[in-house]
Amino acid sequence: MGTVHAKEPEKPLNVRRSANIKNLPVKVEKVVIDGLAKTKDDLVVQLIQPVFGAHNFEELIFTSLEVKSTLDRLGIFKRVQMTIDTSDESFGNDGYKILYEVEEKRTFSGSVNTLIGNNEGSLLFAFKFPNLFGRAERLSMEHTYGTNNTRGFGVELEKPVGGDPDTRLGGSVYQTQGEYPWSGYKETDRGVSLDLSFPTRLGAHGVKWAGEWRELKSLSRSTSFAVREQAGHSLKSSLKHTFVRDRRDDAILPTTGTFIKTSQEFAGLGGTAEFVKGDIELQANKSLFLDTVVQMSLAGGFMKSTDPQKEIKINDKFFLGGPLTLRGFNKHGVGPHSNGNALGADTFWLGALHLYTPLPFRPGKGGFGDLFKSHFFVNVGNCINYDYNRDVRDNARLLGENVRLAYGLGVVLRLGGVARLELNYVIPKWLQSCDSANPGLQFGIGLTFL
Amino acid sequence: MASLVAEAIQAEIGATERWPDNARLFQPYQVEQITFPDYAACLSIKTLLHMCGLKFKVELRANAEEMSPSGKVPFLQLGAFLISEVEPIIAAVKTRGFHLSADLTDIQKSELKAYIALIDNVLVNAELYLAWLHPETLEQVTKPRYGSVYCWPLNLILPWRKQREVKLKLVSLEWADRTMEEVCEEVHTCCQALSERLEKQQYFFGSKPTELDAVVFGHLYTLITTELPNKAIADVINKFQNLVDFCTRVDQIYFKDLNNDY
Repeated sequence: MGTVHAKEPEKPLNVRRSANIKNLPVKVEKVVIDGLAKTKDDLVVQLIQPVFGAHNFEELIFTSLEVKSTLDRLGIFKRVQMTIDTSDESFGNDGYKILYEVEEKRTFSGSVNTLIGNNEGSLLFAFKFPNLFGRAERLSMEHTYGTNNTRGFGVELEKPVGGDPDTRLGGSVYQTQGEYPWSGYKETDRGVSLDLSFPTRLGAHGVKWAGEWRELKSLSRSTSFAVREQAGHSLKSSLKHTFVRDRRDDAILPTTGTFIKTSQEFAGLGGTAEFVKGDIELQANKSLFLDTVVQMSLAGGFMKSTDPQKEIKINDKFFLGGPLTLRGFNKHGVGPHSNGNALGADTFWLGALHLYTPLPFRPGKGGFGDLFKSHFFVNVGNCINYDYNRDVRDNARLLGENVRLAYGLGVVLRLGGVARLELNYVIPKWLQSCDSANPGLQFGIGLTFL
Repeated sequence: MASLVAEAIQAEIGATERWPDNARLFQPYQVEQITFPDYAACLSIKTLLHMCGLKFKVELRANAEEMSPSGKVPFLQLGAFLISEVEPIIAAVKTRGFHLSADLTDIQKSELKAYIALIDNVLVNAELYLAWLHPETLEQVTKPRYGSVYCWPLNLILPWRKQREVKLKLVSLEWADRTMEEVCEEVHTCCQALSERLEKQQYFFGSKPTELDAVVFGHLYTLITTELPNKAIADVINKFQNLVDFCTRVDQIYFKDLNNDY
């Protein structure tokens, strides 16, 4: 733009001078972190140690970028900028200094968000202290107010362990309240929890202890007696381990990769709820010709009461059916019911096969249109109460009998990388008389799906 | 309001069926859990059903209160219908054709209603006052019993919560600020009225029992037989010999002679 070059610009792009940065010796002499106010020095000093171990320029780049990313993940800085420069006070040519310019987040932040859960919307009021005592301790207070009479309040304090932003120890106190019209009850939970999450080479682990007072009430006079009988107070003290290994390229509309999630829960460290419970979810994706993706998912779960005198309560059971899991059925519409109320079961399995394709004629290709995909799917599953008077083989046979199957097609919309919205036309092909089916058009929105 | 309409409709629909074979009365555990105001209500209903000669099964459930549609015990299950609390149960029994006071004159019927209301306003509140506001009774009897089926910390939280709820109710009825003497005085006036109505008759309205007899027995018998740290109310009732004799009589006829459980 109006610039007149007296001569050709220097160095045309096609001429490359190559230097092997692996052979370039490096000595990091100084790391400057600018912009720390509330943050304690020892936390940051600990985190930047790796850069001093760099021996050549390549290592320097990698380690310094890694440190930048670690600082970012602490969640206490608004912005982290990195500059690598030669050192002024250097005795030789290979002295470097690294400058990290950081901007701390405000002491306190408040926000109002709208949340979309599984077929429910809610308002979230949150207050956060991202760096309470200067070592990335995060205190957050939340209040949710949902459309289905869900109310929640929680205070959580968490901090990184040993300065590692991915290993976190947290504790919280909370109260939640929700209505479950498909089962005819409402529940108020008050509890405390402690959790530790840490990454390993295989995947991310979480260990959580929760002590919860649960109060169950019938939703209306028409609540089934089988649900009404379970009304009242229960105390659950449970230890739960979760493991997630996500190797997909996207959480909502992946094109390749696998996903494994398992959770194991043991309830009965005191309290009145005593059971063991485990469930697993597997998913594999493969790209085919013409941007189509085939996705296979499998899920299953089992629970057993550890006290033969006590039955597992309805709020701990497995439910099956809904617009994002076993499509073609109403939410929790599969399995044992009493007077129209879903009772849940202690065993379930679910399988899904999806074929995702771009929208027909590909409107909005390369932009907005890529948020949408059309899909064809088959969902199968079953959910029964394990019969302890029979052996394992008989029970496995029972799980294989009276299987529910639904198939159909529809459109999937990826919402902000965390949720998805589906509009499907479903035909529930195999169903049982106790099921609550929803043939035809079905709309679903949520974070979890199969 | 909606639930009132629903109740009326349910009572109407329920009336088409006579007494089902599997009628069940739900209440908390008798020996270790139930508080005496609840026990009085349960005993009233059991007496009424025995007087009508109706068969029913008593179901003891730790969560009877939470299961009840109104949150109060006892409640009765008749087929698909659930009826809770004393007066709706009396009405439900009546609509099914078991009407103890059918032969009374209109004046007697309204008198009967007035006496039942008197018991509701005086004896029931006095029981709640003694159980939940008299400190010794609350700490030594009511709270441990109410919390007995729960583990720590619920055995402390739930009785505390219930106490707050009952206290609020008594505050709104202007009973909370009364002294024990004032409460005893109310009970005395109530017993005086009952005693004068009973006189030397076998039952309140002659030789046949009515709903009033069931309700009076339920409350008076509970108050005079329950072991409590404070016996002031029992002492008041014991002054009325004809009421005490009445309790012994009903107890003998409908429980001891028939081998019925309380």
